[in-house]
Amino acid sequence: MKAYCRSVFLAALLASGTALGAAPESKDPIKLTIHDWTGQYITTHIMGRVLEEMGYNVEYQQADYIAQFAGLESGDLHVAMEMWETTGKQAMDESLKTGKTVDLGETGMKAIEEWWYPLYMKEKCPGLPDWKALNDCAEAFSTPETHPKGRYLGGPVTWAGFDDERAEALGLDYEVVHAGTDAALFAEIQSAYERKAPILAWVYTPHWAPIKFKGEWVEFPRYSEECYNDPKWGMNTEKAYDCGKPRGWIKKVGWKDGEAKWPCAYQAVRNFTISNQAMGEMVGEVDLDGKKVDDVVENWIKNNEDTWTKWTQCS
Amino acid sequence: MESPERSVKISCHDLWKLFGDNAKEYLTEHNGSVSAQSLKEAGLIGAVCDANFEVFEGEIFIIMGLSGSGKSTLVRCMSRLIEPTAGKVMFENQDLLKASEHELIDIRRHKMGMVFQHFALLPHLTVLHNVAFPLEIQGVDRASREQRAREIIELVGLEGRENYYPRELSGGQQQRVGIARSLAVEPDIWFLDEPFSALDPLIRREMQDEFLRLQNLLHKSIVFITHDFDEAIRLADRIAIMQDGHIIQIGSPEQLVLEPATDYVAEFTREIPRAKIFSAGAIMAPPTGNTLGKVSASTKIEDLAETVVNSKSDVAVVDSDGRTVGQLSRRAVLDVLVGKSTA
Amino acid sequence: MDAATVADGVRGQRRPIPIWLVIWAVALLLTAALYLFQQLWPWAVTYPEAWTVPLRFWVSDFMKWLINSFDLGLFTFKEFTRSIAWLLQWPLDFAGGLLASGFKLAWGEEAEWFIPRLSWLAVTAVVILIGYQSGGIRLALLVGGCFLYLVIFGQWDSAMVTLSSIVIAVPIGVVLGVFIGILGFRSRRAERLIVPILDLMQTVPVFAYLVPVLFLFGFGPVAAMVATIIYATPPMVRCAMLSLKQVPTEIVEFGQMVGCSRRQLLWKIQIPSARPTLMVGVNQVIMLSLNMVIIASMIGAGGLGFDVLSSLKRLRIGEGIEAGVAITVLAIALDRISQGFANRPPSEQRDRPDSFIARYPYTTIALGIVIITSLAGTFIEGLHTFPERLQVTTGTWWNDLVSWININFFDELEAIKTWLLLNVLIPVKRFLLVLPWLAVVGMVGLAGYQLGGWRLALFTGSLALFMAVTGNWEKSMISVYLCGISVIIAALIGIPIGIYSARHERAHRVVQVVVDTLQTLPSFVYLIPVVMLFRVGDFSAMIAVVAYALAPAIRYTDHGIRQIPPSLVEAGKAFGCSRRQMLWKVQLPIALPEIMLGINQVIMMALAMLVITALVGTRDLGQEVYIALTKADTGRGIVAGLCVAFIAMISDRLISAWAQRKKKEFGLA
Repeated sequence: MKAYCRSVFLAALLASGTALGAAPESKDPIKLTIHDWTGQYITTHIMGRVLEEMGYNVEYQQADYIAQFAGLESGDLHVAMEMWETTGKQAMDESLKTGKTVDLGETGMKAIEEWWYPLYMKEKCPGLPDWKALNDCAEAFSTPETHPKGRYLGGPVTWAGFDDERAEALGLDYEVVHAGTDAALFAEIQSAYERKAPILAWVYTPHWAPIKFKGEWVEFPRYSEECYNDPKWGMNTEKAYDCGKPRGWIKKVGWKDGEAKWPCAYQAVRNFTISNQAMGEMVGEVDLDGKKVDDVVENWIKNNEDTWTKWTQCS
Repeated sequence: MESPERSVKISCHDLWKLFGDNAKEYLTEHNGSVSAQSLKEAGLIGAVCDANFEVFEGEIFIIMGLSGSGKSTLVRCMSRLIEPTAGKVMFENQDLLKASEHELIDIRRHKMGMVFQHFALLPHLTVLHNVAFPLEIQGVDRASREQRAREIIELVGLEGRENYYPRELSGGQQQRVGIARSLAVEPDIWFLDEPFSALDPLIRREMQDEFLRLQNLLHKSIVFITHDFDEAIRLADRIAIMQDGHIIQIGSPEQLVLEPATDYVAEFTREIPRAKIFSAGAIMAPPTGNTLGKVSASTKIEDLAETVVNSKSDVAVVDSDGRTVGQLSRRAVLDVLVGKSTA
Repeated sequence: MDAATVADGVRGQRRPIPIWLVIWAVALLLTAALYLFQQLWPWAVTYPEAWTVPLRFWVSDFMKWLINSFDLGLFTFKEFTRSIAWLLQWPLDFAGGLLASGFKLAWGEEAEWFIPRLSWLAVTAVVILIGYQSGGIRLALLVGGCFLYLVIFGQWDSAMVTLSSIVIAVPIGVVLGVFIGILGFRSRRAERLIVPILDLMQTVPVFAYLVPVLFLFGFGPVAAMVATIIYATPPMVRCAMLSLKQVPTEIVEFGQMVGCSRRQLLWKIQIPSARPTLMVGVNQVIMLSLNMVIIASMIGAGGLGFDVLSSLKRLRIGEGIEAGVAITVLAIALDRISQGFANRPPSEQRDRPDSFIARYPYTTIALGIVIITSLAGTFIEGLHTFPERLQVTTGTWWNDLVSWININFFDELEAIKTWLLLNVLIPVKRFLLVLPWLAVVGMVGLAGYQLGGWRLALFTGSLALFMAVTGNWEKSMISVYLCGISVIIAALIGIPIGIYSARHERAHRVVQVVVDTLQTLPSFVYLIPVVMLFRVGDFSAMIAVVAYALAPAIRYTDHGIRQIPPSLVEAGKAFGCSRRQMLWKVQLPIALPEIMLGINQVIMMALAMLVITALVGTRDLGQEVYIALTKADTGRGIVAGLCVAFIAMISDRLISAWAQRKKKEFGLA
């Protein structure tokens, strides 16, 4: 609002796009989707700020992570900044097949998603992080409802983590409980962490949780595509999913026809990359230090001008 | 009572209203001759059965009956608020039942007025705007309709309350608004559907007087519904008594008392003091002897009793032009008062 | 229910009770037999998958056809809905510009003009003025306090985004509702079509139709508004139909007698006379629109709903609570203002002075305030945008509170939870899951027959059958279990509170505030703390459902006891009833039908919460709907949504039939 007030009442502004040389091809707003986790909010706003610097009009649109594909295909939405291989690959592939969306390349961040426990649990279960130790400590991880089995708190069913299958394939004495949402998942982790209570749950990064809570990921047999597709692969020859989760790319996706409409903007989106490290720090600043997202983004823009001006090069 | 020079204002001919399925077909089949038993078998309810009567210009015609007798339905058939099953309603030589919707709206806008039992005032309008409402619907411009409304409000004695809302008024005052509103368009026929039934007895009395005062000024043709026989004889020129959808007798109050058509009618009249019904004209003797003072022929005995009883001699009875038409003895009046009625 | 079924019901009541006892005993025996000999008729116990009707795929295909190929001749269906969206965008942008974001006007390529939004001072002052006009100085103070909360707690920006969509959605909902209501009022046939649609609109969870709405109206605030309107309009339609029917016949006859045309009759007589009930409808639309704030923010409405969601996702419970309270505060302000207008004397000017100022004093003052504060805001920034350094937050306090409870009382809470879970919840769930579906469908039909005759039996039975046939039986039973237990607990807590508040004036006032808050505070706000204290699972879901559904149990009990005719209470006193006897022998039995209607509402609200409970990991219809939403699977969502709606309808019809009968017995109907 402050910015508005400085320009209160009919203040004329010069469009700043000319500063970077290339005028935008269209003044129509480019709609970037935002979801409900901080990291995505930051990546999207960094991208948005850069596009604004290039002279484009940008709008942010709240949309569901998977449901947004309908909007991207119809052109209601234009760019989605974070599509995780681990959770969104299937939906993305399906959408790309329609020919109405386009893969805009990787963000440079690597997603890690796996069974996670806080460090204090290592004392109760010294064999960790090796997954083979899990069964010995099942009781340590149990709750009254699951006793004597251990309790593993998985993500929402829509995240497609195949944890029920994994537990079965690897013969783990654990009951998989699904949190309804990301929020519920981390609420429970926080609650347990405060009490130093046992917890084994699905944690992913980039996210504030692994920064805030000291912990480790369980080490499962390494993921491979065959493991998921071929039951014979791995230690359990009858079942698939006898391995850990894939660690994968995080990609950008866009509306196909937008490429022709805003070629330079799409070029810049393609060029966008950021490291896990940098992202993790920003997420931490927002979620742990309580800074405002916009301030953190503005800060990054100020300090990394060299980086993002390179993205804006357009031929 | 029926003087040839008076013209008929509105009349009903073989008017029927049956509630239930296929009432019309039923009626044509039976060609008008219907017994209560056969109605019941057909699953129909006869609210109005074969009503025939006329209302004269300037007359107060009262339809009297207990609740469920069909009197409200009858009056609504006369204005076509309820569509009759069969028959004719002649209003100023036009069959209302054949009028198109458009004609009907026109007739209602300009020639009919109605007063309702529960006042039916519009809660969101002030007294002034309630009274002006019928004129608004007619399309009269604001200034003239408010001017006219103020006049009528004054006529019914509500001046100074133009800007009150209905809920700020007492029941009697609300009905005055209802009366004023129904008179705003200067209707040719004035329907009053139990206008005073919802009021306290004292107020009711006062409103009846008010009603008579207005009628003396305005000389409207009136169809008045009531379930109160006292009210009927007090106000009526003629009364029609209804029972189970049928009109069982039509006549002046005196006629009803003297010649009740059925036991049912007699039951109503039994408790009525004769002095309330008979007027001087009904019990007077021919003008023969000396008289002292005079009374009008239409005065009810109740109201002249004190004068005549205290008089040392017979009292002259005069008609509306002041001509002496008879004389009244103390004896005759006392007979009526103690119930030794002959006449 | 129509006359025939009611008549059947009355006849049913004359039947001697023992016969029904026998019939039910036989039904239970048959159920047990089915279960014990399930090898003989396995299909009657577990609905065979092969028999499942693939309705969800049909629905999906139908939607695909509707969206992609349905051609109305000149344009396609989607173009039609998109142009509606385009139309709705205008007022929404305008309100948003005025209250939240200001207007950016662009001329050509280079120049842009910026007109700022209204200042907080202007909006607050205008709202206070409206409050004063609607309910005098007390309401003005209340409303002023509410808006000051938004200012001081830094909720202003988001609150104005929310408010701007509410001020557009509510009038649209009201107008639409009134028109549909008129249609239903004028034509029996239209009414017969409208009423069941309203039933569905009010019972199918919003999540179920979000996906088609998104497809048809595009992503963004307009789609959120469309969903809000769909959700919030039904009570307006009902109120319009009811209120028009309730206009006294005499008043209508009066209108006819003065020669009103049909149109004049409607607009000059019926609508104005129906105003009080219509205003109840308006009030409902406002409250329901605010209930939708959270869900609307999930599909792009932004505002307070988004703040609640995003703070809770980051486990900033305090911030979430503050944003949630902001929604409540906004709801209370709008609710009281609309009630004020409803109860106020009619608004017609008694005398109409000629000058604009004298004729519209409030409008003039409001305009004056807006102009003056806007000018002042130009020079003194704090008057336009409330300075951040003066803002207050209680966020950390709430966080600390939850942590403190978590650290110090978790074990006690855990013990209670475990006991309930092991002894009540899990056994009930297992029991319901092993019941043969055929027997349940039969018993639902039987109950319908007992309470309302053949038609009701057919209705309830076939709705129950739908759940089995569409392959949602197990999820439906879990929903029944979760809602059932929550309803019982809500009744056990709510009815005593309602009784107490009906008999103690001071308690009544406190309870009213609590009930209002429970109903408007977004459930998400307490969902996350509940998860922290009770872990993910059925128990947390149950607590959330109980908290949300408690309100009607309290409210209807209170109302039911208060509305008992004083003569009955006096009669009780005259016989020398003690207070206790009075309650058990007089007040409760007479208030019972009303209390049952309250329970009916509790069930409706519990079912409405099902979808929300999916957010903390239940495995019921709510989850099915939620999964369908995230996978954009229209058919799956709608079919599961219909199952929720049908559970609601079955219980609604059964309870209504019962209450109707009782009321008749007491001569209160």
